[in-house]
Amino acid sequence: MSAAEITEALEQARAGSSEAWGQLYRLFGAAIFRFCRRALPTREDAEDATTEIFMKVRDKLGQYDASRPFSAWLYKVAANHCWDMLRRRRVRQDLETGDLETLPLEHPDPGQLENLLTERSSQEVRRALAQLPARARMALVLRYYSDMSYDEIADSLGVRRPFVGVLLLRARHQLRETLLQGGDFRARAGA
Amino acid sequence: MNHFDEITCMLYLDGQLDRERARELTAHTEECAECQRLMGALAGEGRWLKEALVEADEAVPARLFEPRTRANSAPWGWIAAFGFGSAGAYTLWNNILEPVQRQFDQAGFSSQNLFTVLLFNGALWKGWESMRSLVEFLAMGMFGILMLVLFRRNWRRGTTLAVVMASTLCAVALPPAAGAAEVHKTAGEYVLGAGEEVKNDLIVYGGLIRIEGKVDGDVIVFGQSVRIDGHVTGDVIAFARDVRVSGQVDGNVRAFVQSLTVEGQVGKNISSFSDTTEVDSKSKIGRNIYLFCSVAAVEGQVGRDATIYAGTTRLSGIVNGDLYDSSDRLSIGSTATIGGMASYKGHHQPDVAAGAKLAHPLEVKIISQRPDYLSARYYWHQALLWGSAFLFGLALILFAPGIVSQAVRASDRFPAAFGFGVLLLIATPVVAVILCVTLVGIGLGIASFLLYLIGLYSGQCFVGAWLGEKMLGARVGTSALIGRLALGLLVIRILRLIPFAGGLILLLVTIWGFGALIVALYHTARPQMETA
Repeated sequence: MSAAEITEALEQARAGSSEAWGQLYRLFGAAIFRFCRRALPTREDAEDATTEIFMKVRDKLGQYDASRPFSAWLYKVAANHCWDMLRRRRVRQDLETGDLETLPLEHPDPGQLENLLTERSSQEVRRALAQLPARARMALVLRYYSDMSYDEIADSLGVRRPFVGVLLLRARHQLRETLLQGGDFRARAGA
Repeated sequence: MNHFDEITCMLYLDGQLDRERARELTAHTEECAECQRLMGALAGEGRWLKEALVEADEAVPARLFEPRTRANSAPWGWIAAFGFGSAGAYTLWNNILEPVQRQFDQAGFSSQNLFTVLLFNGALWKGWESMRSLVEFLAMGMFGILMLVLFRRNWRRGTTLAVVMASTLCAVALPPAAGAAEVHKTAGEYVLGAGEEVKNDLIVYGGLIRIEGKVDGDVIVFGQSVRIDGHVTGDVIAFARDVRVSGQVDGNVRAFVQSLTVEGQVGKNISSFSDTTEVDSKSKIGRNIYLFCSVAAVEGQVGRDATIYAGTTRLSGIVNGDLYDSSDRLSIGSTATIGGMASYKGHHQPDVAAGAKLAHPLEVKIISQRPDYLSARYYWHQALLWGSAFLFGLALILFAPGIVSQAVRASDRFPAAFGFGVLLLIATPVVAVILCVTLVGIGLGIASFLLYLIGLYSGQCFVGAWLGEKMLGARVGTSALIGRLALGLLVIRILRLIPFAGGLILLLVTIWGFGALIVALYHTARPQMETA
């Protein structure tokens, strides 16, 4: 669907056309499901969240500002919804601001990082991502799946903007550690 | 050489550094191989993460894209549910709503609709100009703002708003005011002396109010103690602690009081919502009496029918028409006469004195204080009630799926839901009554009261769906939600059968669900995202 077609479908959906809404749902449903799948702990959660996000979006279509890309707005709604879900389950933020400030900023070994990039498959990365604390996982998903800006991430996660970079870097560190540990375990298991 | 740290490199790659710092870093990396390598690795990591996350690794569940309705299937559950639901709705109408409406008709309200009854035939409008006060405006304003905040997000759909507006229009469409009434406000005593005459409607606020003269119009009184010894050609509408009508009222007497005593003549009807109502032996009522009270004593003469809902009813006067009594106890004295049909529905066998003259035998229906657990009818009735609630829940899911979903989730937060439930359970009727009294908000007041009742009834649906979710798990899809709703409502219905505790459970479920609805409405209404 071209941008113009999406805009037209949106207008029709706003006017109450179920068919147009169905088109939008089919177009963006898979992407939102994958977003939820990355952000939430289980597949069932992701399925529930996808349905609920689209219900919410349909209710709020009137609020959508057509000057912005629809997908960006959709991801914003999805991010808020998933983060609300996680917070409701008392998945506390893994780190408070104070901890973020004390993050050690050592120089990593580029060689080790390069090895990691070449050795680990996308599937392993996703598996490691699923093991991260909620906020770290959410930060990576918002940045690298939804292409959100730092401002949008700060807004969605309720942190101050200057901490977004720290949050992202820490999440990357945690991901690397998880992958390295996984590799060690695998090496030990194979030995 | 001083290297740049990792976060600075990452911020640089993400375009988050200011221009000067970025230029510094660019210059540094041109000379520093180590930092160059780190930058390369970080950029690679970013791409690597993106690829891993965006990759379509698993199929999207087909059921997410299933159409919501299936054209060719008619599952038995749906048929049964609609059957139960329809039967439940019919029972509700037949046993509760229709008799109430009929009794209102009997009470002399047949020429107007129920709303008009609540508005006292529009009479209060006559005093509107003089009744505006700051407090009233504040109350109206607050409620208006609350409604706007709650419903502004649904402006486009506007169903709720349409209800509110329609009710307001109904109120506006009432007969226009005849003209400004004569109004008196006093903290002490107001007396319209004998021989004095008011050729207009009279509205009085006061402590002790005595009407000894003549009022050629309606009398509307707000006071502690009211005595009507004179002559009122219109209606008497009273909000007071005690009211005594010893004179002559050509129209109706409508009283919202603690104690009403009628000793004189009333040309039309008496409607009384009170603790005690006494229709004295000296009194003569032209048409019907309609009493809601704790103690009702009818000793005078009633021209037509008497409809009484009371704790105790004592009848020793004359009722020329029918008697319909639904009291805890009824006693008919030896001097009583009933010219028409007489029926009693209550908990105790009525006491009818030997000398009482009844044109027809008294029809008696004793209501068992305890439910008859052994009768199949009892369980059939319960099944119908379950059906009504289920049908109502289905309608909610159909028309407001977002709200239902939010409310079910809000049920999970018991303290918040319960707190809001208790608060709004008490506050809403108070606000609705204030709105009705302030006149301009009458439509809004009535609409909010109706919405309040609907909200209370819907509470069980949200708690039911929540309960079902706890029992069956949170599977996605409308069918699963309906299944959870059915099971949850069934469990609640069964719990309500428990003697004594059942009532408490009903109260708990109602407050909890109602509160969850309020929380859900709040979440729906509040701005959750930036759209600019």
